Amino acid sequence: MENIKWLWGLMDKKYHKWHIIALCISAITSLMLLINPTLTSTMVDKVFPTAPGAVPQFDLLIPILLAMLAIRILREGMRYFMIVCMEKSSQNVIYNLRVRLFTRLQYQDTRFFDRNRTGDLMTRMSADTDWCRHFLSYIDFQAIDSVVMFLSTSIYLFWVNWQLALALVLVTPILMLITKIYSKGVRKLFMGMRERQSEMNAAAQENIAANRVIKAFAREEHEKESFDGKSDAFRNAHLSINKRWLTFFPFIEILANAMTLITLFFGGFLLIQTNMGGESIWAPLTLGQLQIFTSLSWALSVPMRQLGNLLNDWQRFITCSNKVMELEMSRADIVDAPDAQSRGKVKGGIEFRNVSFAHDKQDVLTDVSFKVEPGQTLAIMGPTGSGKTTIIQLLSRCYEVKSGAILVDGCDVRRWKLQELRDGIGTATQDVFLFSDTVEGNIAFGDQSLTEDEVKDFAYRAAAGDFITHLSDGYDTIVGERGVGLSGGQKQRIALARALAVKPGILVMDDTTSAVDMETEQFIQQQLRQLPYDCTKVIIAQRISSVKDADQILILQDGRIAERGTHEELLRNRGYYWETYCLQNGIDATKEAM
Amino acid sequence: MARNKFDVDESLESPFDAGHLKRVIHYIGRHKWKMLLALLLSGIASVIGLLSPKITETVINDIVPAGDAPRLLVMMAAYLGIICISIVFTVVRSRMMAHVSQDIIYDIRKDLFAHLQRLPFSYYDSRPAGKILVRVINYVNSVSDILSNGIINSIIEIINVIFIVIFMYVTEPTLATIIVAGLPVFLAIIVFIKPRQRKAWQNQSNKNSNYNAYIAESIDGVRVSQLFARQEVNCSIMQRLASACRAAWMKAIYVSNTVWLSSSLITQIVFTLMYIAAVFWLGDKSAAYGLPGQAIAFGTILAMGQYLNRFWQPITNLANIYNSFVNNLAYLERIFETMDEPVVVDDKEGATELPAITGEVDFDNVVFGYEEGQTVLENFNLHVKAGESIALVGPTGAGKSTVVNLLCRFYNLRSGRILLTDEQGAKHDITDVTIHSLRTQLGIMLQDSFIFTGTLLDNIRYGRLDATDEEVREAARIVRADDFIREMPQQYETSVNERGSSLSQGQRQLVAFARTLLSDPRILILDEATSSIDTKTEKLLQDGIQAMLKGRTSFIIAHRLSTIKNCDRILYIGNRGIMEAGSHDELMARKGPYYDLYTAQARDQGVNI
Repeated sequence: MENIKWLWGLMDKKYHKWHIIALCISAITSLMLLINPTLTSTMVDKVFPTAPGAVPQFDLLIPILLAMLAIRILREGMRYFMIVCMEKSSQNVIYNLRVRLFTRLQYQDTRFFDRNRTGDLMTRMSADTDWCRHFLSYIDFQAIDSVVMFLSTSIYLFWVNWQLALALVLVTPILMLITKIYSKGVRKLFMGMRERQSEMNAAAQENIAANRVIKAFAREEHEKESFDGKSDAFRNAHLSINKRWLTFFPFIEILANAMTLITLFFGGFLLIQTNMGGESIWAPLTLGQLQIFTSLSWALSVPMRQLGNLLNDWQRFITCSNKVMELEMSRADIVDAPDAQSRGKVKGGIEFRNVSFAHDKQDVLTDVSFKVEPGQTLAIMGPTGSGKTTIIQLLSRCYEVKSGAILVDGCDVRRWKLQELRDGIGTATQDVFLFSDTVEGNIAFGDQSLTEDEVKDFAYRAAAGDFITHLSDGYDTIVGERGVGLSGGQKQRIALARALAVKPGILVMDDTTSAVDMETEQFIQQQLRQLPYDCTKVIIAQRISSVKDADQILILQDGRIAERGTHEELLRNRGYYWETYCLQNGIDATKEAM
Repeated sequence: MARNKFDVDESLESPFDAGHLKRVIHYIGRHKWKMLLALLLSGIASVIGLLSPKITETVINDIVPAGDAPRLLVMMAAYLGIICISIVFTVVRSRMMAHVSQDIIYDIRKDLFAHLQRLPFSYYDSRPAGKILVRVINYVNSVSDILSNGIINSIIEIINVIFIVIFMYVTEPTLATIIVAGLPVFLAIIVFIKPRQRKAWQNQSNKNSNYNAYIAESIDGVRVSQLFARQEVNCSIMQRLASACRAAWMKAIYVSNTVWLSSSLITQIVFTLMYIAAVFWLGDKSAAYGLPGQAIAFGTILAMGQYLNRFWQPITNLANIYNSFVNNLAYLERIFETMDEPVVVDDKEGATELPAITGEVDFDNVVFGYEEGQTVLENFNLHVKAGESIALVGPTGAGKSTVVNLLCRFYNLRSGRILLTDEQGAKHDITDVTIHSLRTQLGIMLQDSFIFTGTLLDNIRYGRLDATDEEVREAARIVRADDFIREMPQQYETSVNERGSSLSQGQRQLVAFARTLLSDPRILILDEATSSIDTKTEKLLQDGIQAMLKGRTSFIIAHRLSTIKNCDRILYIGNRGIMEAGSHDELMARKGPYYDLYTAQARDQGVNI
């Protein structure tokens, strides 16, 4: 019920009305289903009487036929209208739901994406949402159809003969009991199936993403085996639900058939009692009344069978909608503070004050402090896994610090508006992700308003102009997802152009030139010195050549700042920086140290 | 190479044809006995089902008027018996068909996935991953029911129709003709609707595929979107795609629902016409009542009225089945289209296993380009001795990665040959041997280090699936990954995933490196393998692998020249192929492009040489 309320809340106001109208039409049209059979029996009685001596009233034939035709046209017309209403309102919900989910995902914390697999999120966004649609466009009106038909028929039958009707309706509690027992066990099975589907989805998604590695290791057979295993588990999950359903199906089927059975035999019994006459506790029943019962018993058994089917759909809906709800209800932890004020553009001042940070209880940064004035260049070096990337992730507030504070332009990042903060920081990430869009679209990713000339200018500055013009369609070449088809160095340069193009107050380059040759790197560095706007630069690199001109170089080791200073100062220091310097230039450090 | 974007519909190359049908039969054919049995069970069940109206009739007409309570009980028992038998039949059929339909799903998915494994990089490079994904997952799920129960039910309905037509004609040919005459009208409507309906569903599946592609990509690229504060733009793109889905869906709904609408209305019209014809045309009113021999009897008219419903009900059911068939056809076409995607790089007919190789490699007049009209390598010749270490340097995009990609046969050559020498001294063209036997002897570490969801142990073991834990650790020790892994909370059992940030980029490279090393290749290929690793770790790592590299041929691509200084031979690859080759000292002495590169790099580092 909670799930329905939630779905209902997702529907636009104007569609509420239409959905309710559709449900009413559903109820009315299922009642209308009872009219034509009644008219048919009237026709049989009046126009084609079989009793001896009865006079057929042929003049009634055409009015009755026309009435039936009219009712059919009316009913089917209403039904078509109802379906359109249902579909429209359910599509509205699904649209809103998709937008909501997508927006949630777009603003979710980095941590959230560390935990959730793409395949699972995809399942929620597609198959699970589709079951929510299925509920609104099918399950709900089918349920109403069935209930209305069952109830109206019962009421009518009570009016005809209350005892026989009661005997029929007595079946309902049994049906409910069975339903309850069935639902209890099957929920878990549906959840299991949902999980298997999600796992299969995740496996396929990862396989597609990893296709290069798989080919490199010739692991196709292994991949097939493991995927087929997932696919098999999914099949078995389906079959176990089917098995469970089939253990309950006979009971429901017997109950549905019991309608006819009770009518015939209890009705037959009542009729015999009536015919015997005399005082009895049994309500009198005529043959005509019994015929009404037999001709309407389908209107009781059909809804019962239908409810059995709907039960499965319902369980599946609950399972899927729970998953969707979970995602829809999830909230990002990192959001604008309530009193965050608009501060305009980022100017470029950075200060870390005793910043500590931990990932899953594992300390990543400990007590990191430094200060960078606007326009200066900060370089960060250090061993693999020392926390370099974490520093810039914290700067963009992808994670919250454990203790300490990060200030941009003298204001704590937690008091910045996220949008403004991130707008002001242009990052060329280490793990280059390009979108399946044109090269131009990728460079203008952060600023849609960029002119073509500007795009070309920034591509030139990132030393990408040359190779881009050599691509088959130049700037209009569509690059694959993750930039497949481009070399590592080419991707890095497009990513750099993308970061430059937002004209940020702080330009962050996380190992941006690692796959670029030296000559090109030199060109890029020269370009960075003469950017058409002022910005603070934060450079993470392993090459001395990339960092040596920085105003300040930090050496990070095990999450702490081990050394800091300029190139010359650090060389004199004879520490990590100096050792790296020697290694990169083939100088024997042990000899030099003497 | 034409690439597909998330918001571009994929055009369907081939319409549904006989070839598709053959495929469908192939998948269904495996289950023909089960399906025949199911059909038989359904047939028997419906024959038995015919008995219950008889019981009803007997009870009401004979037993009740006679007040015969004992016979009432007998009939009751008979009725119960019929129900039980039909339930048993239904359960057996349902169980069997559940297996059939799940097996069909499984088989199609298995074949589709297997085919995807054989498709070249270019297939994956040219379309968003989400579009491939929906085919494997969502589409396959959709088609199974129509291929299993859909077929059985239509056969049953067709049999029903045939029987009832015979019944009708035996009873009263003229009225029967009126009833059946509605059918051509209905078929005409179907023929009219079909192309529209098909187009509508194809369009819907396209829009859905676009939506899925965008969602998948947005989830993968969410970090970048957030860093660039692009969420609002993304949301509006997504809204556009979702709106297109909605519009396409509604259109398909409008069209599809006319099928049942028209069948229902035609039924009623035929019903009306039949009664009118029966009374006013066939039967003279008074004669009909008075002289049964000459005109039509009431009983016949009423019977025909019931047959009419029993004729049109299966027709309507068939229309519904057909409806969902057309709906799912759009998916089936996509699945088969993927299965028909040509495997560009494939084992040759009669390809042999490549015997153990020495590591000697010959590139013989190799010509290659990724796209028509573009040439990356022109008459590339190179002889590499077994055990030699080769470094490839030069500007980005000159074709360094291409050389090693071709050696791994990720692409086919335009012309020329690449030869590997086996331990007996025989040379093998890489196109003559199986791809599997070739690649398992090569160890390539790609620029992108992919991390699979699983533990670190699993990730390294991917290089050699039967490696022991100790061997995995040893490989990790050699590449210096062991140090950081042991500091992780669960060490080698730590769970990592594709996007997770629990590993830094450098650490990912180390894990990928260990994985490659573990595969114990004859030829080791490192393509920018250490670009994100700090110099000190790299130095330690190199010392570690030095011993391993002994006796193995290696190709190393790196920009940091300190990494490759010690290689036996350094090739400078420019836009015109190999511009110079030799050891570090030789090349320095030549003062060619390598010298320039090296001195520039050194100067840049502030070193005087």
